[in-house]
Order: sequence, then C-alpha cells, then structure tokens
Amino acid sequence: MTAVGLGTPRPDADAKVRGLARYGVDYRETGMLHARLLRSPVAAGRIARLDVSQARSSPGVHAVVTAAEAPEHRNGLVLMDTPFFADDRVLYEGEPIAMVVADTPCQARLAVEAIDLEIEEWEPVSNVAEALRPGARLLHPDLDSYAVIPGAVPWPKGGNCGGVLTSDPGGVDEAFEAADVIVEDTYTVPRQYQAYLEPKSATASYDGWRWTLHVSHQFPFLARSRVAQALGVTDSRIRVVGHHIGGGFGARLDLGLEQYAAIGASLTGRTVQLINDRVEDLVSCMSRENATIKVRSGVTRDGRIVARDFECLMDGGAYAGDTVYLTSIPMFMVGSVYRVGPTRVIAKSVYTNTAPTGAFRGVSGTYVCFALERHTDRLAEAIGMDRREFRMRNLFESGDSMLNGQTLDDAHILREAFERVEEVAPWGEAGKGPLRGVGLAAVIWLTNPLAGSATISIQQDGSVGVSTAATENGSGAVTMGLRQIAAAEFGLAADQVFVTSPDTDTQAYDAGSQGSRTTHVAGMAIGAAAKQLRPRLFNIASSLLGALPDDLELSGGNVRVRDDPSRSVSLAEVGRTALGMGGPLSATGTYSVPLPKWDPDSAEGLLFPVFPVPTYHVHLAEVEVDPDDGSVRVTRYVVAQEVGRMINPEGVYGQIQGGVAQGMGYALWEGLESREGRYTRRTLESYGLPLAVDVPDVESIILEHPYEAGPYGAKGVAEPPIVPVAAAIANAVSDATGADITGIPIDPEEVLLAIDKLRES
Amino acid sequence: MIHTLTIEVNGVSRTAEVRWDEVLLDTLRDRLYLTGAKRGCDEGECGACTVLVDGAPVHSCIFPAMAAAGAEVRTVEGLAGEDGELSDLQRAFVDAAAVQCGFCTPGFLMTLTALLESREPASDREVDEAVAGNICRCTGYSAIRAAVRSVVRGSET
Repeated sequence: MTAVGLGTPRPDADAKVRGLARYGVDYRETGMLHARLLRSPVAAGRIARLDVSQARSSPGVHAVVTAAEAPEHRNGLVLMDTPFFADDRVLYEGEPIAMVVADTPCQARLAVEAIDLEIEEWEPVSNVAEALRPGARLLHPDLDSYAVIPGAVPWPKGGNCGGVLTSDPGGVDEAFEAADVIVEDTYTVPRQYQAYLEPKSATASYDGWRWTLHVSHQFPFLARSRVAQALGVTDSRIRVVGHHIGGGFGARLDLGLEQYAAIGASLTGRTVQLINDRVEDLVSCMSRENATIKVRSGVTRDGRIVARDFECLMDGGAYAGDTVYLTSIPMFMVGSVYRVGPTRVIAKSVYTNTAPTGAFRGVSGTYVCFALERHTDRLAEAIGMDRREFRMRNLFESGDSMLNGQTLDDAHILREAFERVEEVAPWGEAGKGPLRGVGLAAVIWLTNPLAGSATISIQQDGSVGVSTAATENGSGAVTMGLRQIAAAEFGLAADQVFVTSPDTDTQAYDAGSQGSRTTHVAGMAIGAAAKQLRPRLFNIASSLLGALPDDLELSGGNVRVRDDPSRSVSLAEVGRTALGMGGPLSATGTYSVPLPKWDPDSAEGLLFPVFPVPTYHVHLAEVEVDPDDGSVRVTRYVVAQEVGRMINPEGVYGQIQGGVAQGMGYALWEGLESREGRYTRRTLESYGLPLAVDVPDVESIILEHPYEAGPYGAKGVAEPPIVPVAAAIANAVSDATGADITGIPIDPEEVLLAIDKLRES
Repeated sequence: MIHTLTIEVNGVSRTAEVRWDEVLLDTLRDRLYLTGAKRGCDEGECGACTVLVDGAPVHSCIFPAMAAAGAEVRTVEGLAGEDGELSDLQRAFVDAAAVQCGFCTPGFLMTLTALLESREPASDREVDEAVAGNICRCTGYSAIRAAVRSVVRGSET
C-alpha cells in the first residue's frame, strides 16, 4: 500500500472548518502596536510638502516614518528601482509615502489623516502608448544608474522600458513570402487582481540586532532577502515565520508590507502589525499586467503556418518588479503547441504611472495564450479550414523545439490531450444550436525549477515529521502532496506524517509556492532525505531484529524481514533506539530541477531562459450567449491536463476547477482599468469576481505519464489550469456570434452588435 | 463612547466593552478573541465575516455590534459539538475537498448552516444562490456544492 494516488483529506482542513487556523492577519502579540501607511492619493507628482509634526503628537502615536527616516537606497526583485518610501516624487496612486505606528488601528488612521501632504500633481504617464511616445516624461531618469541584483545577466533597457526581449532569428520576412494568406491581429487585455481573500499583512518585532516577521507569504526566503535588501542588512538578520495563507496566486511572492512592519519595529522597539484594508490592497497590489499583443502570421492554403511576427507590450507599472523576467514568457508560447515557422518576438516591459504589476498564476501566459489561440482560429477561418483540423495539422510532436531552442521530448502528449477531449466532447457535436458556440485552446506550461529542501525526522512515536519552508498556499501541495510523498517513502499512511510551518531560521532554503513547483521540487527533496535516512534506519532495525539490512522492508509503520514478516520492529522503537545509536533519525534533502538545454543566442534579454518539466493542456469551452443583454454563460468546460502522476486526485481536480474559475473571471468579468492613472473599479464588489452561480463543474481528464525525474512521477499541476481559459471561452463566443473577440473581459455590447449583424445576414 | 454589550455567543453569555460605532466583527475578533470570522473586504461583499444573528446570516463587518445586544450569535467556532465532533457540514467540507486556503470557509459554513437549518436545498442552483454573498477565490465552488449535496443525501438515508 502506498499513500501516493489516494484522495486523502488534508489535515489543515480540520482547523480551517473549525475557525481555528491562524492566518497572517490573525497573528497577535501582547503589547503589539498597529501601523498604517499614508499612500499617494495621486498617480504622479512632486511632493511639495510633507509635514508630520501634527501626526507625531496625535494620541497614541509612537512613530511616524517617512523617507527621511528610511534607508536611502532603492530595492527591487531584479532591478533596484524602488524607494522605501516615495521621497521627492510619487509615481503611482497608492505608493507609500509615510507610516504611522500607534497603540490602536483607529489612532493610526487618525494620525495618518493628520499628516499635511501637498503634492504638485503631474499629468500621469497613464498607459504604455503614452510612455513610449517620443518625448514622454521618463519615470526613471536615472534608470541606467540603478543597481541590479547579484548574478543577473545584463539586459537591454532604456527610456521608459524596464526590459526588452528581442528574438529575431533571421529569415522571417523571407518565410512570409511563402504564405498564401497573411493575417494580422491586435489584442488588448486589462490587469487582473489576484483577489486573495486575506488582505496582505505583516507583523514584525526587533531585538536590537535581528528582526522577526510573522507573515502569510508564499516564499518566506524571498521575503527574508527582500526585507534585508530594503533595510540594507544581511539576510541572516531577518527571520520569517509563515502562517496559514489566505490565498496568494502569486501576489505574495515579492515584498508586500514586510519591510514597513520591520522598520516600524526597529524604530519603536515594539511589535508592529500592519494590515491592508481592501481598497489599498487592491489599488497597490502587483496585479497581472495589462498588455497589448500584435501577432501576424502567414499561412498556406493547405493549412500550414509558415512565418510569424509577435510583439507584446506589457505595462510594468511604476517599478519593474518581475515583469522584466516576464518578457521572456512569449519565447515559450509563440512558437510552440503549433509549428509556426521562422518567428520574430519582441516583448517590452514598460513603465507607467500605475501600480507596479507582477506575478499572478500563469503570469503573462494567460493573455499570450488568449492572443495566440484567437489568432489561430482566425488563421483557420482565413483559409476556410475547420479550426480543430487546422490545429491538428500544425500540432507539435516530440522532438520539436520552442523558440528558445529547448527541445521537447514528450510533446506527443498534446495530441493525446486533443484526442481525449474529442472522446467526451466530439468536435462535430459540441456547442451546436443558435447562439451557442465551442472553442478550443492548448498550451504547454512549465514546472518552476527553483531550489527546495525538506528535513525528515523519524519521531520517537514512530510518526514522521517533515520540516520545510515550502508553503501551503491553499493548493494542498504541502498538506496533501508532500505529506503523501513522505508517507510513501516510509510505508506509512498519510495521517502518520505531519508537516511543520515555514521558519527561515530553522529550515533550509526553499523557493516557496510558485509555478506549480512545490510537490515536484520539495517532493524530490523529501525523496533525497529519505534516501539518506533509510540506510541508518535499516542498520538500527537490523541490530534489533538480528537480520541483514538488505533483507528488511518498510510497511505499515514497521520495519520487517521481507521473507518473514512476523519478525518486525516498529518505527517508534527504531526512532527511540536511534537516540543511543548515533543520534536521532533526521536528514535534510535538497533539490533543484536540472535545466534543459537552450540556445543562449535565441534572444537578447532572455532572463528566464527555459520551461523545465513541461506539461500539456487542452481546454474546450461551450458557451451560450444571451440575446437580450449579451452576457455569456459557460455551459460546459472540459480540461485535459497532463500531470506526470497524480499524488492526490482531489488536489488535482481542485486546482483545475479553481484555476478555470479564475480564468472565467478573467475572460468575462474581471479587470482593473485605469483612467488617468486611477483604477475605476476599486472594491471587491465592483471588481467582478465569479460567484458560485457563474461557475459550472469542470470536467477534468487527467493524463498520467509518470515523469522519470519527478517524485513518484509527479510534475507540476496547479498553475496551468488558468492559462488557456480566456482563449477557449473567447473562441467559443466568437463561434456563437461571429464577433471577432480581440479583448477581455468580453464586452456584452460587442456580443450584442455581433448578434444583430448575424440576424441581418 | 463606550457601551457594555451583552450577547450570547455560541451558547455562552458574553459581555464586552464596545465603541458605539463598533462592528460585530471587531467585537468578536478583538474583544472575544474569536478569530474564525474573517475580515476580507469591510464592505459586506466577500462574506468571509458571516456569522448568524438569531439564526440569520449577517455580514458582521458591517453589522453594528450594538444591534446584536441580547441576540444569539453563532460563529464558526460554535459549529462543532461539545465533544469536538465536526458538524455534518464541516465534515462534508473536509471530505469533499471544499477547503483550500480556507479563509472564506467560515463564512460559507455559516451561510450554508443557516440554509440547511431552514430547508433542504432542492438543487445546486439553490445552493449557488444561497451563497451569492460569499466569495471563494480558490475552489471554483464545485467542491462546496458537492459538500452540500453529500449532507443532503446523508440526511435522506
């Protein structure tokens, strides 16, 4: 019996249904102070006056912190372009200018209101087009002088561009000459807010030398190094302790409020807690970037794509964050899934006077897929070929390479995914009927390769403890995935394994929950730890049983003689005996994914060079549109997803259902639009999240192809289910109405106009 | 202005000193240390703060604490039996994998507990409409529907 593959319930669910799970916002210490930020009320301007004297003398106030009290240097995830507090200029609405620390949240709020702030407002550089216009005001006139983080490869940047990726292999223009038809499309997508239900928070204390932070963060070791970087101290002076995470979806990977709580703690000598209210959380959050995508392809009459030109302008907001990395994403998408011939790619991350953007599940992939798959439908239409047939003709096979030169040796799984979808939702039958439609979209996605670790300890009661800085963001990757992997390593049931929460002081480095990496990478680390531990465990058992170590096996919480199972000793006894035989049974395993080969000359500015441990995905959406109001109802949604191997089926289905729901929101309702640098939808109510009535039960088809270098064959699972959703839905709406959907969220007005046109013809 | 508020919370009479304009969520979380109800939005939209006041679900982040004077308040901490055994709905949430990050879970449990105590939902649609005031960003709602179905089925057998 093995714990792998079972739908075992997760242990944290018990605490969560009892209301006893403590999240970052629930953490408290006696005598804790409360902080609040003064954020810029405008998108751009010069700080003409900042007088905090009245705030300093307000009731209950312990400290007011401004740029004058904060470190002068800039910080950043890759490019150090971000000041601690805005000093002379503000670059986006919501940018922190000052912080009050007081006895109560109410006193902190009143004192913030007592700060005398005058900003000489500038016309904001409110969008990418304005930012790239010759003569546009530069957000960062000193861009060239900014430091980059150690080890970063230099990349092209300049003007209002924080990063530029260019791939021009030559021969693209010539290849277009072989085309019978050339189709060019432009797509626009808005920002998407992660909208985790737990607002961001941080609680910090300081002992005169070191800071301790209590957080709900996806990547405690990055929080540690980023706080250290912002404060200008070494990493090891920061301790980050992780609590339950009330959703993250990428928004809790970079710094949130941690550095502010930390400086409040060291200036007051007290524990300081800082929690966003929802409006400031939404306004300041590093949401998925808005973008404009241009794609031009040449096709032949017999249905071959022969050349492609792709340009993507990403709105990085006022500070670069990780959008500099994200300019690499098109390199893995524009020339994969379908063979497209010679291809040119340009992607730019552009500064504007808006909140910095950043990681959200599936990052830029959601809109690159939307643009490419809408465009694929348009190509088929242009030559009068069936949309599915066109995809099949150009489909990737094993041995094909992505634009970065990385060869995929299991890409044949894509065809299997299309076929499995066909079995349950035959193309000839799906989405038929008036005002109904069907759409397809496919993608290849990665498993994030960054390093991880886990320490395994056989306890004296025979249970197994797993200590890791990998984080449980809600997906179940830790409480299902890692726990079941550890159980399987020692022949236990999952409930005999417990997993501790993250603490950077006591655990080795782990890159946290991002890019579906936790089960795969930390799972491999568990395997490595178990491999170290097993010989010692068998040696001790061997002396207790009087049998050779090689003749022993683990089963049901015991070590037993393989040929004579009646001779056995419990793990508890082995664990106790170990204390007098070399010390406790404990080992730390580490792992990072070996990077596949790529061609470093394939692009300039390729900071994120490969898509390791790729997985394969095909989505099908059926929709019905309402002729009265143009609204779209998703009537059926089918996902075929390759996962390597399922560790916990319930966990896999949960990630698919949840990812599709987020993708539906992106396709149909969500979106942060800004006017003059100010978001127009500023609350959860107006933002437009999907509710239960909006989301159908998704049909999931799981393709298992155990991956040789994965824990029990597992690849990453959680991130990709969101990626193709907007594409599949938009294609279905286009099929239903004839509307050429070029933007999301899909505009009901546009749908109604298309229906009118349809009726006229 | 500080008032003395007496309410019955999860079957126990509790007294707290509250500000005149305090919302019930603050009283529960900061004065009675019942942190199961969550603050997600402060505007009665996300439903993570849902508790029952005299049996009816309310968004405690916009419900005046003083309006609960003398009322019976139930929070997620009061759902399990005295012996610690989970309610049927809590059990179903665990078993159906209806809990991911879990921040919305207390609110869903309270809304659905009120629904199930008032009537047996006849369809998924009725369940979906009952939770129109609760947002879940993780699960995509399917497992929550399944949890409710399993409770209804369980009560029929």
